Amino acid sequence: MVLEAQNLTKQFNGKGGFKEVTLSVEKGQVFGFLGPNGAGKSTFVKTMVGLLHPTSGFAWILEKPIGTVESREKVGFLPENFRYHDWMTGKELLSFHAELYKIKNPGKKIDELLELVKLKGHENKLIKNYSKGMQQRIGIAIALLNDPEIVFLDEPTSALDPVGRIEVREIIKQLKSQGKTVFLNSHLLSEVEMVCDEVAIINHGRIIAEGKLEELLKEHTHVEMIVSDYTTELIEKISHLSKEFQFKEGKLSFKVEDKEKIPLIAKMVIEAGAKLYQLNTQTSSLEDLFINLIGKDEMS
Amino acid sequence: MITIIKYTFKEMLKKRAFLLVSILSLLYLSIYAFGLSRIFEHPSNSIYDIIFQSQILSAGLFFANFIVAFLVVLTSVNAISGEIESGTIYSILSKPIKRYELVLGKFIGLSIMIVLYSSIMFLSVVGLNIWFGSKISFGWDNILKGLFFFDLGPIVFLALIIASSSIFSTINTGIIAIMAYGIALVGGVLEQIGTAMQQSQVGAFGLKSGESLINAGIITSLILPTDVIYRKMTAELLTQSSGISFMTQGLFGGMSQPSIYMFIYIFFYVVFLLYYGAKRFSQRDL
Repeated sequence: MVLEAQNLTKQFNGKGGFKEVTLSVEKGQVFGFLGPNGAGKSTFVKTMVGLLHPTSGFAWILEKPIGTVESREKVGFLPENFRYHDWMTGKELLSFHAELYKIKNPGKKIDELLELVKLKGHENKLIKNYSKGMQQRIGIAIALLNDPEIVFLDEPTSALDPVGRIEVREIIKQLKSQGKTVFLNSHLLSEVEMVCDEVAIINHGRIIAEGKLEELLKEHTHVEMIVSDYTTELIEKISHLSKEFQFKEGKLSFKVEDKEKIPLIAKMVIEAGAKLYQLNTQTSSLEDLFINLIGKDEMS
Repeated sequence: MITIIKYTFKEMLKKRAFLLVSILSLLYLSIYAFGLSRIFEHPSNSIYDIIFQSQILSAGLFFANFIVAFLVVLTSVNAISGEIESGTIYSILSKPIKRYELVLGKFIGLSIMIVLYSSIMFLSVVGLNIWFGSKISFGWDNILKGLFFFDLGPIVFLALIIASSSIFSTINTGIIAIMAYGIALVGGVLEQIGTAMQQSQVGAFGLKSGESLINAGIITSLILPTDVIYRKMTAELLTQSSGISFMTQGLFGGMSQPSIYMFIYIFFYVVFLLYYGAKRFSQRDL
């Protein structure tokens, strides 16, 4: 595992933060960490990179306990509220951070990264003259300086325009293809949906759902059917296999947790001698899932 | 840590505060030089003149020391706290470095710059006095020892500010620095008055009051020993190889010299402040 947390808790005087988080991230994954504002996402990342001390529990990065210098050797981090020394030029800033990583002869790597984040030609400008988007781009370059095994990106596109967002998405995909692990904190669900393999959803400091994105979304496939010549027994059987079941004059509407149930239900309809005129399926978007889960959590 | 030292030094040079203090210093040295040119216009060799000249030198060093302290506050009050408040610390401390390296790196980087600046100020004031024909005969040992103590005071002050900046906010550190420096200054003056009262034998009541003032001065020296170091500097600079000392005269000199125990205390004072500041900083949530 590249990242592992066991009952990790960080609270501020018994409030805020996150509680008893247990999760693991495999090598080469793009892991999305989702949650509404104030859910504890950034606190979790800051704890992982050693900026906050956990209240209880354990966590490891590349099998090194968090908080140790060794645990940060192969880590890249883009903070949410990115701010850099504005008296330096872009190139000086990258050199400074390369020196902090003890990288020898970082010139070539700096040039590559400037190219990657589309800041070539701006490297000799002072950071204070950079736009917010440019500062976020140079932050991404800093996070990749040490060729990290795991990169924590906390809202990496918050200051970027749509083109910049696509570029960051491409960088994430590129990192994944290189076998790197990306831990993505974001509340831009469409973005997460496009790049993440696994997600965890956090609300009020607790993980309320976690798993492969595909699996989580599969759990919430919406099905609509139009049938005739049905029996009451058939309708009852379908209702037992599904959730949120609704039936009115031959129209069935329900959700299934497993997509494999859809052909099974169709087979049941045919075998029961009923006529199947229409079968539509619609997989929930991450947004639907997110709102559904957060809503349920708030209710409970 | 070398990276932190290097970039701290670079940052100070680029700070507007450094430019401001440099201009202020040049202005001060120009005015001082103009004053000296008038004072030394009609040279004489009387003992009163030499005493007066020692006072002019002491006054020059006193205000130079004050400007250096001003620079120390302006450039270091936000050394650590400013990084936290602006958020630049996140990208630094998520790197494989220990937090104490940041505290020590900042301290050493700032110390190098302050020693350079302080030395220039000291040598300029002493050099101007020699240039304009001061009758005080300085030996190299006087100048080097004086320089050492002139540089030591700001370093001790810097240790207090760095420790405070590692624990408290920039505003609180500013308050602590100014209050501590003020207390040390007032305490030093009280101690001098106390010593003068004892030496002038103003009766039993005067002796008792003098002792109380000396004790008050010692306590303030324990809070921030900059004044005591300044007095040691004037003693080293103005005590001639013959044993004659001009330092016992006037407002800017010193009537009592700090003991060796005070310097042992100063050594542990700096070590403790840096250790405590780094320890508390390491325990902080950022």
